[in-house]
Amino acid sequence: MASNDQIAETTAAPESAAQTPAGNGGEEAAHGSGLELRQVTKHFSEVVAVDNVSLHIDNGEYVVLLGPSGCGKTTILRMIGGHEHPTGGDVLLDGKSLVGVPPAKRPTTTVFQHFALFPHRSVLGNVEFGLRMQGIDKQQRRKRAMEMIELVGLSEMRFRKPSELSGGQQQRVALARVLVTQPKLLLLDEPFGDLDRLLQLRMRVELRELQRELGIAFVHVTHNQEEALSMADRIVVMEGGHIQQVGTPAEISQRPSNVFVAAFMGDNNILQGEVAEVSNGRTVVNADVGQVAMATGESSLSVGDQVTVAVRANCVRLTAGDEKRQATNELACTVTATEYLGDTIKVHMRAGEHALLAKLPEDRYTELVGLAGKTATASWNDGDVQLLRA
Amino acid sequence: MPEPELTPTKSATEGRSGVDSVVPGDIALSDAAGAEIYGEEKGAGHLQAPPGASKLVTLLWMLPGALWLLIFLVAPVIVVLVVSFFTGTITGFKEVFTTSNYSAIFSGSSTYLSTLGTVARNSAIVTAVCLVIGYPVAYFLAVKVKKTQYAFGLFLIALAPFFTSTLIRAEAWIPTMSINGAVNSILKDIGIIHHPLGILLFSNFAVIVALVQLLVLFMVTPIFFQLAALDRSAIEAARDLGASGFRVFMNVTLPLTRGGIMIGCVFVFVLSMGDFATYKLVGGGSVGSIGLNIQNLVSLLNYPQAAAQAAILVVAMAIGVVLLLRFAKLQEQV
Repeated sequence: MASNDQIAETTAAPESAAQTPAGNGGEEAAHGSGLELRQVTKHFSEVVAVDNVSLHIDNGEYVVLLGPSGCGKTTILRMIGGHEHPTGGDVLLDGKSLVGVPPAKRPTTTVFQHFALFPHRSVLGNVEFGLRMQGIDKQQRRKRAMEMIELVGLSEMRFRKPSELSGGQQQRVALARVLVTQPKLLLLDEPFGDLDRLLQLRMRVELRELQRELGIAFVHVTHNQEEALSMADRIVVMEGGHIQQVGTPAEISQRPSNVFVAAFMGDNNILQGEVAEVSNGRTVVNADVGQVAMATGESSLSVGDQVTVAVRANCVRLTAGDEKRQATNELACTVTATEYLGDTIKVHMRAGEHALLAKLPEDRYTELVGLAGKTATASWNDGDVQLLRA
Repeated sequence: MPEPELTPTKSATEGRSGVDSVVPGDIALSDAAGAEIYGEEKGAGHLQAPPGASKLVTLLWMLPGALWLLIFLVAPVIVVLVVSFFTGTITGFKEVFTTSNYSAIFSGSSTYLSTLGTVARNSAIVTAVCLVIGYPVAYFLAVKVKKTQYAFGLFLIALAPFFTSTLIRAEAWIPTMSINGAVNSILKDIGIIHHPLGILLFSNFAVIVALVQLLVLFMVTPIFFQLAALDRSAIEAARDLGASGFRVFMNVTLPLTRGGIMIGCVFVFVLSMGDFATYKLVGGGSVGSIGLNIQNLVSLLNYPQAAAQAAILVVAMAIGVVLLLRFAKLQEQV
C-alpha cells in the first residue's frame, strides 16, 4: 500500500528534520507538493493579525502552530481553511492557489475549537453531513459514515445528539465528521481545549497514531507548549503575527532562537549583559548576575555588545554551599523554594536581584528540600549557554 | 517532560462504547476517580432536583408567576366558561344552566363558523407572510450587520411603530389606504394605475396587509434573538464540510432557529385570531371577526353568548397552535 511509504516517511521526518535545521520560511522547499504560505498578511481593519508569514508544510507532516492568544495562529489556520481571506500573499496547496476558493471547495477540513457539532443532528447525521454535501447517495454515505463511527468507537451512540455525549465522545464525533470526507489536509483549532487533562494526554497519542495511519498533513493550533512538544514533527512558534521560530520540538526546546521563544517555552534562565571578551570559540559576558561564558564558535560578537543569553533550567547544576571554584558560569545564590514535579524537582533560587531556576533529578529530593533558605552554588557548562536574538 | 506515562490503548478504535470507552483499560484508575473524571455525561444527575430546602426555594421562585397566572388567566377563563353555560336575559344573565349558547353557534343560521373559518384562514396567511417577510429582516439584523451595536440600533428603529398604540396604527391606515389616500394618489400620479384601488381599504385583503404590518415584529423579534445567539462555528463547520450558502441555511441555520420561528408563529397566529381593532377599522365592517362579534355581543349585554364565542375561539386557537407545533415536530430531522 502506498500509505506504508508515507508512514515510513513521516516517522523518519523528525530525525531528518533535526539534521537539517528547518529554516524560518521553508523557502528551500519550494517544490510543488504540500501546503505553502507565501508572505501571507492579514489585517483586521487597523490591526495586523498576521504579518508577512511564509511557511511550507509537507504532505504527511504534523505541524503545530504554537503561541499565546492573539499571536495570529488561529488566523493562519482560518486562512488555510478559507474562513478568512488574506489581505496579502498567497496560500497554495500542491502548487495551486487557494485564495478566493470558498471553504466548501477546499480539500481541507477543520476540527473547530469547541467541536462545532450540529446540535440538532445525531452522531450519524453529523458524520454523514460532509458526504451528503458531496452528493454521495444515501446507502453509500451511510455505510462510510458507519465505518468511521465504528473507527472512533461510537457505534452504539450513533443516534444520540451531541448534547448527550461527553466531551471526549464529542471530540471523536468531530474527528469522524471531518475524516469521513477524506481531506488532504486536516486543520485542528485547539482540539483538546475542552477535554480534561487525562483525556488530553490520551488523545495526543491517539491523534498522532491516526495521523500516521492516514498519512495526511495535520496543522494543529495550540497555546499549550507541552502539547506542541509532544505531538509535532515541526513547531512554528508565533507571536505578534510573526513566526518567531520554526523547528523540531527538540530544537525549539533546546535552542530557542530569541528571547520570546526562550521565555514562552519556559524553564529558561534568561540573562542579559555586555560582551567582555571574545576569544577563540568562547565569549565571556558580564551578565547582571555574574560572568557567563558561552561556546559561540565563530562569533560575530565584539566586546561591548549588549547580549541576551539563555541557560535551560535542566542544564543547571546545584551544589550546597557557596564555595566558588571557577570564574565563569558559577553563581552563589540562595534557594527560595523547591517544587516536586514527580520525575524532576524545580529549584527556585535568587542571585542578588535575579531569579534563577534549576531542574534536577528526583533522586536528589531529600537533599534539595533541605536546601530551602540556604546558600548554594549554581553552575553550568559553556556549551549550555544559548545566545538569543532580541 | 514531567508527565505520567500512559500506555496508549486502542479503545477508541476498537469500537468499545458507552462511557467505558473513554476510560482506557490499562490506566489504573479507581472507579471513584474514573467516575469523577469521566462523569460528565449529560443528564447523569446534575439536573436532578436538589433535595429538601432548595426544592422549597424553587417553589418560592415559581410562586409569583403562578399566582399571577391563576388570578389573571385561569380564573377569568373559568368565569368565561361558567358564564357561557348561563341563560342570557335582556340585562345580562341568570344563573340557569343551558347549552343554547353553544347550539346557537353551531346552528345553521349562525355565521359564527364561517367567520371563524375566515379568521383562521386570514391568520394562517398573516402568519405565513410574516414569516416570509420577518425572517430575512431578522437574518439581516442578526447575521449581516456585523456590529452588535448597529444590529440593536436597527432593531430598535424597527420597533419604533410599537411606541404608538395598536389602535392609532390601525387608524393611520385610513388616510394612507383609502380611495383618495396616499397610496392611491401616488400610484395614480406615477401612472401605475388609472383608477383608485378600492381593495386597499375596507376589504379582507386590506385586513391581511394591516395585520402583517402590525404583527411582523412579533415574528422578527424571537427569530432575531435566536439568530443572534446562534453558534456561528456550526455554520462555519457546515461550509467547511462542503455546504453552499443555501444548503448551510437549509441544513443548519433554519433548523437551529426553529424555536424562534415557532414562538413567532404562535405570537402572530394567536394575536391575529383574537384581533378586533384591525378588523373594525381597516375591515370597516366588510369582514367579520370573532373579536368583533364578541365586542358587539358584550355591548348588547349578551354575556353568555359572548362567553360561548370566546370559549370556542380559545379552543380554535389552541388547535391552531397544536397544529403549528406538530408541523414543527415533523420537520425535525434525524
